[in-house]
Amino acid sequence: MTLDMELESVLRAPALEMAEYPAKVITLANSKKMVVRQAKRTEVPILLDAVRPTMKIERDFYDIVGARLYAELLGWYRYRVRNEYCLVGQIDGYVVGIVNGRMVDEDIGISYHTIAIDRGLKVGAHLFAAKMEHHIEYLGQDEVWITAESPIGFRRWMIEYNLIKQTGVQHELGGATSYKLTRQLYFNSKSRLVAGERPVPEILLNFAHENLLVADEETIQEKICGTIGGQR
Amino acid sequence: MRDVAIIGVGMIPFGRRDEDTLLDMLAYASLNALDDAGMGDKGVDAVYVANMGAGILQHQTSVASALVDRLSLLPAAADAVENGPASGASAIKNGLLAVASGYYDTVLVAGGEKMREVVGWKATDFVATMTHPEVEYPYGITLPGMAGMFTRLYMEKYGLTRDQLIAVAIKNQKMGTLNPYAHVKMIITREGIVESPDAAVNNPVAADPLHFYDMCPVSDGAAAVILCPLEKAQEFTQNVPVVIAGFGQATDTHTLQERDDPTNLKAVTLASEQAFNMAGLKPKDVDVAELHDAFTILEIAESEHAGFFKKGEGGIAAENGETSLKGKIPINVSGGLKSRGHPVGATGVAQVVEIVFQLRHQLDEARQVKDAQVGFTLNFGGFGNNVVAFVLRRSE
Amino acid sequence: MKTELEITAYQCKACGRVHYPYHDRCLTCKNREFEVIKPEGDAHLLAYTQIFNLPWGFDVRFLVHGVVEFSNGVKAMGQIHVESLEDIKTGMTLQPGWEPIRIVSGEAIYGLVLKP
Repeated sequence: MTLDMELESVLRAPALEMAEYPAKVITLANSKKMVVRQAKRTEVPILLDAVRPTMKIERDFYDIVGARLYAELLGWYRYRVRNEYCLVGQIDGYVVGIVNGRMVDEDIGISYHTIAIDRGLKVGAHLFAAKMEHHIEYLGQDEVWITAESPIGFRRWMIEYNLIKQTGVQHELGGATSYKLTRQLYFNSKSRLVAGERPVPEILLNFAHENLLVADEETIQEKICGTIGGQR
Repeated sequence: MRDVAIIGVGMIPFGRRDEDTLLDMLAYASLNALDDAGMGDKGVDAVYVANMGAGILQHQTSVASALVDRLSLLPAAADAVENGPASGASAIKNGLLAVASGYYDTVLVAGGEKMREVVGWKATDFVATMTHPEVEYPYGITLPGMAGMFTRLYMEKYGLTRDQLIAVAIKNQKMGTLNPYAHVKMIITREGIVESPDAAVNNPVAADPLHFYDMCPVSDGAAAVILCPLEKAQEFTQNVPVVIAGFGQATDTHTLQERDDPTNLKAVTLASEQAFNMAGLKPKDVDVAELHDAFTILEIAESEHAGFFKKGEGGIAAENGETSLKGKIPINVSGGLKSRGHPVGATGVAQVVEIVFQLRHQLDEARQVKDAQVGFTLNFGGFGNNVVAFVLRRSE
Repeated sequence: MKTELEITAYQCKACGRVHYPYHDRCLTCKNREFEVIKPEGDAHLLAYTQIFNLPWGFDVRFLVHGVVEFSNGVKAMGQIHVESLEDIKTGMTLQPGWEPIRIVSGEAIYGLVLKP
């Protein structure tokens, strides 16, 4: 797509300098290794392939999370969302989860979405924790604003992290009440909720960078839904 | 009393079955069982339906009447049976007595539950309604909480170790990957849930000292069996009939606090003894068992109280592989509740279905206990306050 | 905080067995006459656990439950208000109180609360 850079210079707001998230590797319950790394903007088209099938799944609000995440990633790709980042979880190269958020300013971050494609391994929980780790420890922010679209999200985050309810503060995603994670709350919960080892062994990390793989639509739907019934 | 045979079995894969209603699942499992029994176009004399939660979760009652209508089994007698997580075995017991007495010749017993219709903590609350309404439930205690307290006491009394619980979890999850009906088909490893630095996050405490992977999942599912007098089995099917050789049922105090020794699962021991006595058999005669491992501790404790191991040795046996497929007494080679899942009303029926598969020798080598002749099931209601046991025998 | 424990236990007049909750007939001897008693003396911890997957109606991260036995034989379940299980162990004495244990439709429900 040809871009008119003169117009782009008007449409693209100046971005904050954002520290990169240092990749880590998490050993999952089945001993598989999940590499968690920051996605590059150029990788967004592949990530969109992973997100697209989820937009058809009503279960657990995957459709709305998927649709919004798709828009956010596309917005980031096309320079229409400021200060956004995206972390991806990969097992053997395959995308198993995506999280994203953005910096509002130096001090405040906004958590956008968390989507897990491989369920049953706490992928979503691990990636959400990585996101909080990024905001507090690497982006150096003081607080992160969070809202939830599904009951799973609400339970997992608001209660697990003991988040502070913010009355009268509207999260960018609209919708339900906004909560915040502060530095203190993060470090209180870190040992319980944040996993992973650094550095990632070179062979694993290189493989993850060189092989950003997406399962086919049927596999993604099956991974998310499992047995859905409808037959004997 | 007549010998009673199981001539047909049916089950549907357990999991989260969003597309099915409770009646759908019960109907599917029942039709599978009727077809398996060679009765796909026939009626039955009576129907017993095991279900605990339809009134709460689905706002539906009289499920037995509904199923009979759905399956065109009118004018069969029909009763719903509720005994908490032991509803399934209780329903089979009722069916067994009906046939054994000579009053009915053909009985369908179906068990089902749709627990994923509500969010997890509402499902937890529903299960907690089994606890005492005045002195336990208001405190927010859950069945995992009961199991947690029991586990700590068991550890203090018998030296049970966390590694022994983990051995059960790993065994059952591994076997679940081979079971087409299992809800959870996922290997877990010691590295992933205990040894690695990430294990604490992967496998957090759920009800101390029990962890996440000590628990069974919350599932939807259904299973069914067809009973008839053994002497008439050949009129319907060439399947090898499996005889219910013995059954037992016993109760204990509602609250754990009123038991003289809360680590003593008296109802398990009594129910098991009754079943073995009726069958004229002993625990050492059993080739394969399905125990009620809603929590890993229960597989170990039940294996002791049912008589397979001495008190305090069940955990050691599990750790040493004695309860694996090729072990001294294979237990939960289906994956158990841990992997197959625990739709509470279905579980007791599913346990019997799994044993029938074993005794018919119809499973592939990876799951079949070689030349199994005698099976045992234990269905644990409440927290051990109402327990039903069966001894089953291959008839040929 | 209410100071009186609203626990009514029942001691069999025939064999002396203490019951809580209520039974119409004694669990030991089937007698139907009971003396109403209240928990008395120290509360010793018999069993406990900390649960994290709570039922509907609780919006905290965990609950600690315990079963205690009072000096006069009354056994009861309660919530233990501690931050960590490291603060408690089987056999220790806990201080009983009658405090809110949950909120239902905006109203506090009271029950046995135990503290080290």
